Amino acid sequence: MTRYILKRLLLLIPILLAVSLVVFTILRLGHGDPAMAYLRLSSIPPTDQALEVARHELGLDKPFAVQYVSWLGKAVRGDFGISYVTKKPVLDEILYYLPNTLILAGYSLALTLLLSLPLGMISALKKDRLPDHMTRGLSFFGVSIPNFFLGFVLIWIFSIKLHWLPPLGKGGFSHMILPILTMSCMSLCINTRLIRSTMLDNMHSRYVLYARARGLSESVVVGRHVLTNSLIPVITAIGMHAGELFGGAVIAESIFAWPGVGRYAVSAIYNRDYPVMQCFILIMTTIFVLMNLAVDIGYAWLDPRIRMQGDDQ
Amino acid sequence: MFTALPGALAAPPEGKDVLVYSWNSNMGEFNPHLYSPNQMFSQNLIYEPLVHYRADGTVTPCLAESWVISPDGREYTFKLRKDVRFSDGQPFNAMAVKRNIDAIMFNHERHQWLELINQLWKAKEAGKEPATVLDEYTVKLTLHDPYYPALQELALIRPVRFLSPAAMPESGNTSKGIKAPIGTGPWKMVESVKSEYVLMERNEDYWGDKTKTKYLLIKIIPDTNARVVAFETGQIDLIYGGAGHGSGQIGLDSFENYRHVPGVVTKISGPLATRALALNTNRFPTNDIAVRKAILHAVDRDAMVKHIFMDVEQRADTLFSPSFPYCDLKLKPYDFSRDKAEALLDKAGWVLADGAKYRSKDGKELALDLCFAGNDTLMKSVAEVVQGDLKKVGIKVNLVGEEKDSNLARQKSGEFGMIFGSTFGAPYDPHSFVSSMRVPSHADYQAQLGLPMKADIDKAIGQVLVSVDKTKRQELYRYILGTLHENAVYMPITYLTNIMVYRDGLKGAHFGPTKDEIPFETIYKD
Repeated sequence: MTRYILKRLLLLIPILLAVSLVVFTILRLGHGDPAMAYLRLSSIPPTDQALEVARHELGLDKPFAVQYVSWLGKAVRGDFGISYVTKKPVLDEILYYLPNTLILAGYSLALTLLLSLPLGMISALKKDRLPDHMTRGLSFFGVSIPNFFLGFVLIWIFSIKLHWLPPLGKGGFSHMILPILTMSCMSLCINTRLIRSTMLDNMHSRYVLYARARGLSESVVVGRHVLTNSLIPVITAIGMHAGELFGGAVIAESIFAWPGVGRYAVSAIYNRDYPVMQCFILIMTTIFVLMNLAVDIGYAWLDPRIRMQGDDQ
Repeated sequence: MFTALPGALAAPPEGKDVLVYSWNSNMGEFNPHLYSPNQMFSQNLIYEPLVHYRADGTVTPCLAESWVISPDGREYTFKLRKDVRFSDGQPFNAMAVKRNIDAIMFNHERHQWLELINQLWKAKEAGKEPATVLDEYTVKLTLHDPYYPALQELALIRPVRFLSPAAMPESGNTSKGIKAPIGTGPWKMVESVKSEYVLMERNEDYWGDKTKTKYLLIKIIPDTNARVVAFETGQIDLIYGGAGHGSGQIGLDSFENYRHVPGVVTKISGPLATRALALNTNRFPTNDIAVRKAILHAVDRDAMVKHIFMDVEQRADTLFSPSFPYCDLKLKPYDFSRDKAEALLDKAGWVLADGAKYRSKDGKELALDLCFAGNDTLMKSVAEVVQGDLKKVGIKVNLVGEEKDSNLARQKSGEFGMIFGSTFGAPYDPHSFVSSMRVPSHADYQAQLGLPMKADIDKAIGQVLVSVDKTKRQELYRYILGTLHENAVYMPITYLTNIMVYRDGLKGAHFGPTKDEIPFETIYKD
């Protein structure tokens, strides 16, 4: 298992290298011009001369290959360059904002798991009865509603009408409640439905019939057998939810004026801030690869058959 | 992972003595001599100019109490106020002015877009001192050539504003960074938390009228809808700035809603700049003056103002508002009249064949491209109205919505039939804007290229900028702006404005003389 994990971690190096080259190329194939964007932000008329100065300042007047090799040489030493807009080291900026996003994403993931598990179980155990109808209805609604719209609805109810929660900014835990609800809504609903359907599948399996025939109590059958086996697809889904949460963070951070890395990345895209975009994508790639690895390790921990295959290898 | 971040700060102050505003991005390090990410409105809170620009186009004293211009228009001698100190206690004097001008010269390439800086740099290259200390409170600025808008450009928010010499780096080159944002202005910066807020405090040692409020808290709110929510929930006291797409404050629809909410005050400023379409005189079919004039007559701009701009911006009839210096020329507007448009096209030989939707001449259809930034919903709406109106007189308009930077690239190359733009606004208008008409990378240059008198216009622009005689200057502007108007090179759409929204309890709010000067110092909570 340790060898397997090490192998997967080493695989991260060629993946990041390939991603960096693709991102670097795609960004420069686009129509936009960071020098033009910089002048626009600075309210400087984009004359040929002003553009030339800006390009030289941003290092964009060098050939593509020279730019890439120079960037890569610094990146392997942890220097991802200077933001075109803020003129500050990109990695420092991203590491400043990233914890804020991880806090939101972490709480959202925790809420997703904590609520979807009991809701999915109740829905499965009370199939076609009122709790099931309510849970399914709620899930259908939650999956359908766009999260930016949900964000504004929550603000309207809890901040404008009831004055219970602050609508914006970063402060105490109360500032996080609405963004967390907004970000986790879709994952929560998808997970609830997934747990329900996998539990229903498992409850009709032969091994459940056999367990019942052995005289095991219903709580042991459901708790130890059905639930454990139903968690495997959920683990897969968590990997996907992590991606959804980071995507959702971009929107939630803008709506709730939360100082996270998603908002920072969006403004970088808008301003054609290449160094920030490159670093952001590489960090996201690393997070995704590590999430997938964690999911695979989770499989092995939950399912002895996967563990044995791993040992064979 | 789920605990508060290390280094979290105590919350900023609240209450009656705190005015809360919001902005859409960080404000950088408040370097007076640099551009993005420094924000103009916030630089203006801390740093002051030698002279102020007023809404009527005049220039009045600020840190300089008087000035004398040499007869040849090359030397400006300023008598400085003697009662001014930087907020760190350092005296503001002629040496401080010189240190700042020298710092700006270090980075003259970055400021090349501004003719005043070019003139100071050229003087330096010619062996003259751009800034000379004559005595402790007298300083002389030397230009290479006479340049009449020098005073207006000295009033700009950047780069000629003054940082305490003690806050400069040892090298004196502020383009590499500053030690602290220390100016002479009414506010001092006390705290800045990235992407959250900036806290400004009253400068108790300010030489002028002190601010009515002790604190100014600027929250960072990137989203326009979130800003509306912040206002609704009392998180901010004031909305001030542009309205509409990409303005950084609120949408026109939100502003329109607030106009009808009891207890909420809404205000619209006077003209600040002009939105206009440039018509390409160097490209078929707008190389025909009849087509250009027909286009100007065929578009119902009043309907546009009412339904798209919701009466927040007023209709523009000329490239510059008559309220701008030298621009009250009594030019005859192109009124909305489809009959006039059709008559012009008929007379010029553009005929509508039986069954055809669009006119043609010599086998060529009367069709042109209207280019705009595709993500700008306001431009898109205007473009669609123009397309619909012109279709009614037999002109086909192809809408070309692209990414902002691609659209800018078109302005440089001249690959457009019509293209959106706006003038620079006060205090750059009209002089800086007409100056840019001579630069090939500008849409204005490209649009004018087909005019037979383009060389004469450029020559007149060159003359007007160095003119020392006001009467002659007015004549030259009459020629430049009158010729462009008569030749229908521009379709002025609206005059850009700022908007303001606040609740009844706020007093002393009024508009600043330029787009980015927000007079927070007079505002207070009753």
